[in-house]
Amino acid sequence: MTNSINEIENAEVILVSGSNTTEAHPQVARRMLAAVDRGARLIVIDPRRTRLAECAHLHLPLKPGTDIPLLNAMMRVLLDEGLADDLFIEMRTENFLALRDMLNRLDLEETAALTGVPLPLIRQAAQLYGRARKAVICYCLGITQHVCGTENVQTIANLAMLAGQIEKEDTGVDPLRGQNNVQGACDMGALPNMLPSYQGVHNEDYREKFERAWGMRLPEATGLSLVEMTHGGPQGPIRGMYIMGENPMLSDPTLNKVEETLRGLDFLAVSDIFLTETAQLAQVVFPAACFAEKSGTFTNSERRVQMVRQATQPPGECRADSEIIMELSARLGYAMKYGSSGEVMEEIALLSPIYGGMYHDRLEQGWGLQWPCWDRNHPGTPFLHKYYFTRGRGHFMPAGHTAPGEAPDQEYPLLLMTGRIYHQYHTGTMTRKSERLTRECDHAVLQINPTDAKGLCLRQGEPVRLLSRRGEITLAASITDQVASGMVYTTFHFHEAPINQLTNDAFDSGSRCPEYKVCAVRVAKVAP
Amino acid sequence: MPHASATTSSHLLKKDHLKGFLRKLAKEYRLVAPVRNRHNDVLFTVIDDLDAAEIELGEPPQNSLKQFFLPQQERLYSYTNTPDGYDFRPTQTTIPPTVYFGVHPCDLSAVLYMDVVFSRRQRDPFYLRRRQGSVLIGVNCNSPAPNCFCNATGSGPFLEMGSDLQLTDLGDRFLVEIGRAPGHALIEHWQGFFSPSGDKDSAARYQAFLEARGRFSRQVHVEQAIRQLEAGTVPEQVWEELSLRCQDCGGCAYLCPTCTCFTISDQQLDATSGQRLRSWDACTFGGFTAMTGGHNPVQAKTSAIRQRFLHKLRDDVRQNGRPSCVGCGRCVSVCFGGTDIVRFVERACQGSL
Amino acid sequence: MHDVLTTCVYCGCGCGLYLHVEDGLVCGSQPSRHHPVSRDNLCVKGWHIHESVNHPDRLTTPLIRKNGVLTPATWEEALDFTAQQLGRIRDQHTGKAIGVLTSAKCTNEENYLLQKFARTALGTNNVDHCARL
Repeated sequence: MTNSINEIENAEVILVSGSNTTEAHPQVARRMLAAVDRGARLIVIDPRRTRLAECAHLHLPLKPGTDIPLLNAMMRVLLDEGLADDLFIEMRTENFLALRDMLNRLDLEETAALTGVPLPLIRQAAQLYGRARKAVICYCLGITQHVCGTENVQTIANLAMLAGQIEKEDTGVDPLRGQNNVQGACDMGALPNMLPSYQGVHNEDYREKFERAWGMRLPEATGLSLVEMTHGGPQGPIRGMYIMGENPMLSDPTLNKVEETLRGLDFLAVSDIFLTETAQLAQVVFPAACFAEKSGTFTNSERRVQMVRQATQPPGECRADSEIIMELSARLGYAMKYGSSGEVMEEIALLSPIYGGMYHDRLEQGWGLQWPCWDRNHPGTPFLHKYYFTRGRGHFMPAGHTAPGEAPDQEYPLLLMTGRIYHQYHTGTMTRKSERLTRECDHAVLQINPTDAKGLCLRQGEPVRLLSRRGEITLAASITDQVASGMVYTTFHFHEAPINQLTNDAFDSGSRCPEYKVCAVRVAKVAP
Repeated sequence: MPHASATTSSHLLKKDHLKGFLRKLAKEYRLVAPVRNRHNDVLFTVIDDLDAAEIELGEPPQNSLKQFFLPQQERLYSYTNTPDGYDFRPTQTTIPPTVYFGVHPCDLSAVLYMDVVFSRRQRDPFYLRRRQGSVLIGVNCNSPAPNCFCNATGSGPFLEMGSDLQLTDLGDRFLVEIGRAPGHALIEHWQGFFSPSGDKDSAARYQAFLEARGRFSRQVHVEQAIRQLEAGTVPEQVWEELSLRCQDCGGCAYLCPTCTCFTISDQQLDATSGQRLRSWDACTFGGFTAMTGGHNPVQAKTSAIRQRFLHKLRDDVRQNGRPSCVGCGRCVSVCFGGTDIVRFVERACQGSL
Repeated sequence: MHDVLTTCVYCGCGCGLYLHVEDGLVCGSQPSRHHPVSRDNLCVKGWHIHESVNHPDRLTTPLIRKNGVLTPATWEEALDFTAQQLGRIRDQHTGKAIGVLTSAKCTNEENYLLQKFARTALGTNNVDHCARL
């Protein structure tokens, strides 16, 4: 996020795209609703009529996978109506002409038709956003989980820069991070192409810096991404895996391939707090301490690095993951000895510029620090891109429409989207152990429009078969006009209805993010 | 209300001597008081080191005493599966005699309400073993917080009865009134800390009460809302509007000092043993009224929200003569969407005032 | 009985919450009033975060697959076996044949250590996590 969560409350216009905020980021939704109470306008771009869409002033129900045409049409309206921020474009950006030429070539009517959103609605949204003094865009996996995810994000950046809605307090572009420490895991270099703090592995200077600190030559070539590792098949390039606290056997697309791959490994070790679907396939399982039994830091969506404090002792023989890693490393000939998580953080601060001033003793005071925090005296950074972008000038990256990896056809006529619900979290490893949360919601439902349900003679709650080219599951139908005709929606939390057996493993070539938001499916009645 | 009745004797405790008095208490009791921690949050805390604890009597603490008498999750029984069936044994817990110091009138009223719930018709042994042997030392509220409205629920800002000792801050000293016998015993036991109070002090107390009463920033028409609920004239759209904005966190019920709903569940630990747990629940949760077979008599969110406010403001008035909302305002600041009791009262009374 | 301020593990909002500990067991949670994100409240998941901590299904001992079945083992056995297996693959096929998944639920320090372990001890950049899922 370029802003802090609390800044959203002060925006005049909030544009939400591809985020079911009330369910997945309740605290962010709380700020949005508070802003609306104070008179802010809320625009929601989502194929489904979510709770937030019901509270919105404008809801743009686009066809899944048409984010780029929709945003391009909004930008064209900004240009046509003189709402572009010429001064900002002149002072802070580059490559504007390429964007302008592309937009001017657009046929607005045609583009709007492609998205399924009436042009007047798009125009209204553009005007609201363009005229606001302070506007934020919040987006989530509805933007990134497409084959054109990277271009979707770039197009959002184009829109924000064109309208000059960035660089100020209460104004910016805010991707909402899904998991508690997904931001931190990225920051720490848990990526195949990045060393900590986004220092590319292919860059010799960066590598050299880490080689000196770690006393060892480091591999140069970019590694494999998660989907490449878990989808290589039984004869794939990966022979052994170590998995810490992740459950690809439920979270990854095309699960059959994941299972085939993991079963085909020579060796798999998993460390987790419960025996997950993935751990069940392992040769070795380590019992890990959970968050309440260890200390360290998490980094939230607004880049705030905060302390995690030990409240109790781990049960049984559980050990913290850091201990397990150090034990293994020593056995493999590379001894790592740290007396505390604070000592690890000192090394992180030494090697990662954006964490340069993050020390546990500082984080213990107050409410943590937001990166970039360059040194011990730096107060942290509540909002990004003030006066200049990280790369200097903001670069417009015009993009056109990319069709999804798989479109509905005669055989598989419905479009499936997947997402999250409020009471469950990710693969349910923790939430499904909670008595109260499971009581509130413990099974997957398939949202289907009344028209489609009628065509199939479905009753509310009836179990149905859901099929794609990759697999089949059974789950209960929930007939609702939250989804439009031709689309269905469900969640990925439940191992009894592992929706990722059906999803497509087509992924964005830039971010390698799988296209969870679009694949073709068919619904059939369960044979009596 | 404000005048000390003739039968209660009152005393003075100089502020300089408060810590000394608490130190004496801490020798014989576990001491719980609102403490401002290093993160600036004020919580009722078990005080181990009196010198390190910053006791905060002004800002209302964010938690109430509920969690001390009715923990969020409590193990009631452990059981073993035997050939003859289940063998249940109550969990042994020793709760030391505890002094709860610095309890605001809203939270005191809430404890009295919980006492009614857990001991009037049926005596709940698990509640009572935590509640018995506790000494309540209240402090009248001189500075209501922005969300407070105990003046509208008859539970503050000053309280005459309910605590064992009741303190009023008079600047450099506390006026100490005896509410119950255990309070009297404390004063008897540590007489040296106290001196007799005079008319001047009673007058100062009355003055403080008047000032506190003038410091409420909200006018919440609780009585009017109660009348509307009793007459069934709350417009349907009020429930719809509130339920659309409820985000189902349960925070209002969990933070509420008088929400006492709980659920009991059995958790199998291994093949031959398990435990019976009691944990907080909230009537706004969809699953709260769900039955085993899947039927749910409270179908819509609107009904659940309606149920919550009917219970607090109508049913409890019918049963106990007063609402079980104590006006502490906790649910106001916590609410994600604006479904709190103050918003309800405002909406329900719109147009009728 | 005491309260420990920590950070919620559900979702990227990062609420500050207190874990309520009695007799060594986490038996409740409550929001921090002054924390900039939680501001006095949690979502339903945060309010019930303690329920998974004490759950009887928690793994409490290392497991090794023996004759197809995951069987309790000692830490020494499990660590030695894992190191030996990973070492063998590394030496036979180079680090490129080893994949490491770190976790978006674990701490920064653990993520840092695991990617360092992958890049040094195992000699591979095949390190990733479910950032995109």
